[in-house]
Amino acid sequence: MADKLLIRLYDVGLGDSIYCRMPKAHKNGRDFHILIDCGTLSSTDYLAAAIDNLKTMLPEIDGKRHVDLLVVTHEHKDHMTGFGMDLWDDLSFGAIWMSAAMDLDHPEAKRAKKLHSFAANAMEQAVRLNLALSPPLMELAAALALNKTAMKTLRETLPQASKIKPVYVHAKSKKADLALPLKTDATVSVLGPEKDIDFYYLGKEGDPALRRLGFIDTGLPDPLTAVPQPDAVPMPANIDPADFRQLRSRMLSTALAFADLDGKVCNNTSVVLLIEWKGKRLLFVGDAEWDGAYKEGTKANCAWNVMWNLRKEKLKGPLAFYKIGHHGSVNATPWGMTAAASEGEPLAILDAILPVKSKAGAKATVSTRRGNYETIPRTDLLAEIGKRVSNTRNYANAFKKAGKKTSAVPKFSEFEKKSFSQPQPLRTDLERMLQESRGFVDVEIEA
Amino acid sequence: MGTTKKKIPPSRKNPERKLTRATMIDLYQARQYLGLDTLKETGLRMPVRVYFKDPAVAADTEGAGIDDEFTTPWEPGLGDGPTSARFAVIDYDATRNVLTPPAIWDARNNRYLAPDRKTVLDENTKELYQYHQLSVWAIVQNTLDFFESGAGLGRRISWAFEGNRLIIVPHAGYGENAYYDRGSKSLQLYWFESEKGTVYTCLSSDIVNHEFGHAVLDGLRPYYFESVGAQTAAFHEFMGDLTALLMAFRNNAFRRVVLKESNGALTNAQLLAGLAREFGEATANAPYLRTALNKHTMQDLAGNLEPHALSEVLTGAMFDILMGVFAKHQKNEVRRAKAGGSKKPSDIRALADTVPRMQMLAIQPLDLLPPCAVTFKDYALAVLRAEQVANPTDPSGYRQLMVDCFIKRGLLEEADRKPLMEPAPVFRRPALDVFHSVESIAASRGGAYRFLDDNRAKLFIPFSTDIDVPEIVRANKRTRDGLPLPQQTIVQYLWREELVLEGGRFGRFAGQRTTMLCGATMVLDQNGNLIHWVRKPGTASVGTSEAALAEQTEGMRRKKELLDTIAARVAAGMIGESIGSELGLLERATPPFTVEHVDGKLRFGLAPHFSLDDHDHNGTGDRQWQISF
Repeated sequence: MADKLLIRLYDVGLGDSIYCRMPKAHKNGRDFHILIDCGTLSSTDYLAAAIDNLKTMLPEIDGKRHVDLLVVTHEHKDHMTGFGMDLWDDLSFGAIWMSAAMDLDHPEAKRAKKLHSFAANAMEQAVRLNLALSPPLMELAAALALNKTAMKTLRETLPQASKIKPVYVHAKSKKADLALPLKTDATVSVLGPEKDIDFYYLGKEGDPALRRLGFIDTGLPDPLTAVPQPDAVPMPANIDPADFRQLRSRMLSTALAFADLDGKVCNNTSVVLLIEWKGKRLLFVGDAEWDGAYKEGTKANCAWNVMWNLRKEKLKGPLAFYKIGHHGSVNATPWGMTAAASEGEPLAILDAILPVKSKAGAKATVSTRRGNYETIPRTDLLAEIGKRVSNTRNYANAFKKAGKKTSAVPKFSEFEKKSFSQPQPLRTDLERMLQESRGFVDVEIEA
Repeated sequence: MGTTKKKIPPSRKNPERKLTRATMIDLYQARQYLGLDTLKETGLRMPVRVYFKDPAVAADTEGAGIDDEFTTPWEPGLGDGPTSARFAVIDYDATRNVLTPPAIWDARNNRYLAPDRKTVLDENTKELYQYHQLSVWAIVQNTLDFFESGAGLGRRISWAFEGNRLIIVPHAGYGENAYYDRGSKSLQLYWFESEKGTVYTCLSSDIVNHEFGHAVLDGLRPYYFESVGAQTAAFHEFMGDLTALLMAFRNNAFRRVVLKESNGALTNAQLLAGLAREFGEATANAPYLRTALNKHTMQDLAGNLEPHALSEVLTGAMFDILMGVFAKHQKNEVRRAKAGGSKKPSDIRALADTVPRMQMLAIQPLDLLPPCAVTFKDYALAVLRAEQVANPTDPSGYRQLMVDCFIKRGLLEEADRKPLMEPAPVFRRPALDVFHSVESIAASRGGAYRFLDDNRAKLFIPFSTDIDVPEIVRANKRTRDGLPLPQQTIVQYLWREELVLEGGRFGRFAGQRTTMLCGATMVLDQNGNLIHWVRKPGTASVGTSEAALAEQTEGMRRKKELLDTIAARVAAGMIGESIGSELGLLERATPPFTVEHVDGKLRFGLAPHFSLDDHDHNGTGDRQWQISF
């Protein structure tokens, strides 16, 4: 319906690519078009199909399909591979927002930058050497490995073609920097990351096991040393080569430890977007993470906890729409996962944004694919969200009705079975199975 | 090993006279008959300079620096590395991809040198990585010798892995960590930066001994790794702490420092009880990682499944006993002086007498532990039984003291006191249907199996169960005076009972199968008397007698407890796949408990490594095992 706000979550495999249309919200009376992320760790064919579809949704202005606002939440491939592809020639952009963490000159992200550079180079080397990594580590390496082409497209090619400057946004961005041609009943605001990235998301200690982040300033080895070529590894004389190889595979990897920390910082510096439209609140969180509690300045905090402690006024309050974080991962939507989480911030946050009593007015959706990283999505979390939103589906019934077999669902008995007959928010992976490659999931919000 | 009290004249401490290698080997073959001073004088115990505790204690506490009395056993096959029969030091740094050249064995002078083959490694070279290599090797070589000596287990110990050389990695890489890892047969010690400079965990004898304690226990009772039970995991931590505590105690000069620091009251002796001070100070606000001087009881920690926290109860209980033994020795000193002895009462002597007593009391019972699913109570009962065998008349009331300490900590109940303290014969024959000589039982695993199989009914072994005898060993333990205790034949036997994880509380494991380990350890003396028999029954029927029914009831209780624990671990998000790779491990993503699929069944276990740190994230069951991408 033309007067409803549309959120279209493209099915891009393991990744995010989200289109949002705010009807008649543009200052000049037309619809306002937003694209949030364009990436996948699965086949890039998904992205080509998504952008083809996107173009049909966009107005043509000066001979190009026009996106009013492009947001790239964070520098992980599953959110930005598309920008390394040849997809953008006939698109133009009104504004391009990226996370302040992606700004090479952001003064409060010096350590984060160093960390990211080390991690990305090390993981690129790991991918290049085709090292045997366990599936979750493979995803980490793949997501982190450098994507120079995509970053160049975002920093230079696209802005230049549209004669704009990209804006690296944070919660304290100036109003003027975030100015958009919107009518007064629509606003787009940034709840995260905080401007001081090093302080909030790395803290003094970073990860406990990597305490003393001074190592990032002075001690980090060359990434090619941290991930050495096999023939560059010295061989001791007093043990068998096979034992030494086994030993090396079971020593702590500095490259992985810092890549993991960087992955966490990168997720937690995701642009968190709050769209307010005709009194409705819509939250897009990228891959923001949560943990047990916030500690100012001393630890690598998670984005949800930082927002809850610094931007509670903006964050709290029932949502009309929630883009479920990080492909349904257990650590991306705060919830009462454990007794401790139930008593502390995590459940309080969920209760504030998706209270059970506001279920009728709330919707959510998630881009999912159970692949290498088999514990994503976490279905009991999705079932919990399913108790709090109205656009859910009982996939057990839906599969039965459609005559589909659950055996087609990856790792069904291990990860899906238990929550399969509980209502879950719409998931791109299961919707694809049910709807024969429509290629996206739509959510509509009424004024 | 006998001990002689005579002082070595200073002139002979560094004898110029060198023994030939053939003489050394002769002496080595006869070493069990030589006294400590002779071992030192002949070089069969080599002097190596190591830190009493660690560099931070050395800097802060006068007299507690480098230990110049420390020696470690010589053996004929020593080589560069150092490499010895049971250890190979591999100085590979995974962060920097650097292999530091090994310390060089100088066979002519029986000492280790820097790679220049000239510089002797001692306190003047403590900046050299080769000095670190030597120091860490000397510590574990000495600790293993202690465990294997008559005052310890009185037998050789195997590792839990295929092979006999434990790999020691003194500078494994950057990280606030140190761990024993069975999967790579190694003990890995990392380094990290602190405000005071680089902290090398390999220089802390506490850390080295703690981690080595895990390796020793894993060798003694390999099935403890296959556990989700809180007390079994905690027992591993306890064993690490106990090893560190007892090894620090062995040092004469250090004991003097401790007594001085605590003014004779051991309750103040934080230095001794606080493990790994430098590590702790650099890593946490608490001055010590864990301390033996705590008041925790099992009642306080009811429901707590966090191994480090629980282990403090048992460490605390053993320290209570230590203080009790020390108090008794102090009184003896006073009594002796009053009775007109020539010497004044001496705390130093009292503590020196306490130490060997404590070592025997705490270490010898390890052979009496069950093969699987150990609890603190199993250990408490083993300690009491070992004491009863070694000291049947108990004129000084040690058993009373121990029972009091164990009850105070909630490791035993008040109701346990009476049966434990009642006068009873020290040795009894086990009730059997078919007699086997100890010789035939001890001769092989097969021999032990036939003994068990012939006596299934009396031994409560279910008829249909196919049992395994993973190990049979003989041990020659000794009293503190060096006198032989009854020779022990230690038989461990095990079987698995299949369980189905039914119900939503098992989360993603619901509907799958796992197994419960069942079995027992039986210890006989050379005459076939029963020294100890500790059982972990299953749920299958083993007869209709009252005892057989009680056995089955205990099996049912164990099954329920195991299922409840698995469910609690699942709920807390503490079980996950172990994440390894060609590039190494990611500690943060390693869950405390792992799950493997073996023959279509789930096998839960302790994570492949144990970290010395106990940051709050370990126990909270936060979502920390998730990798971010």
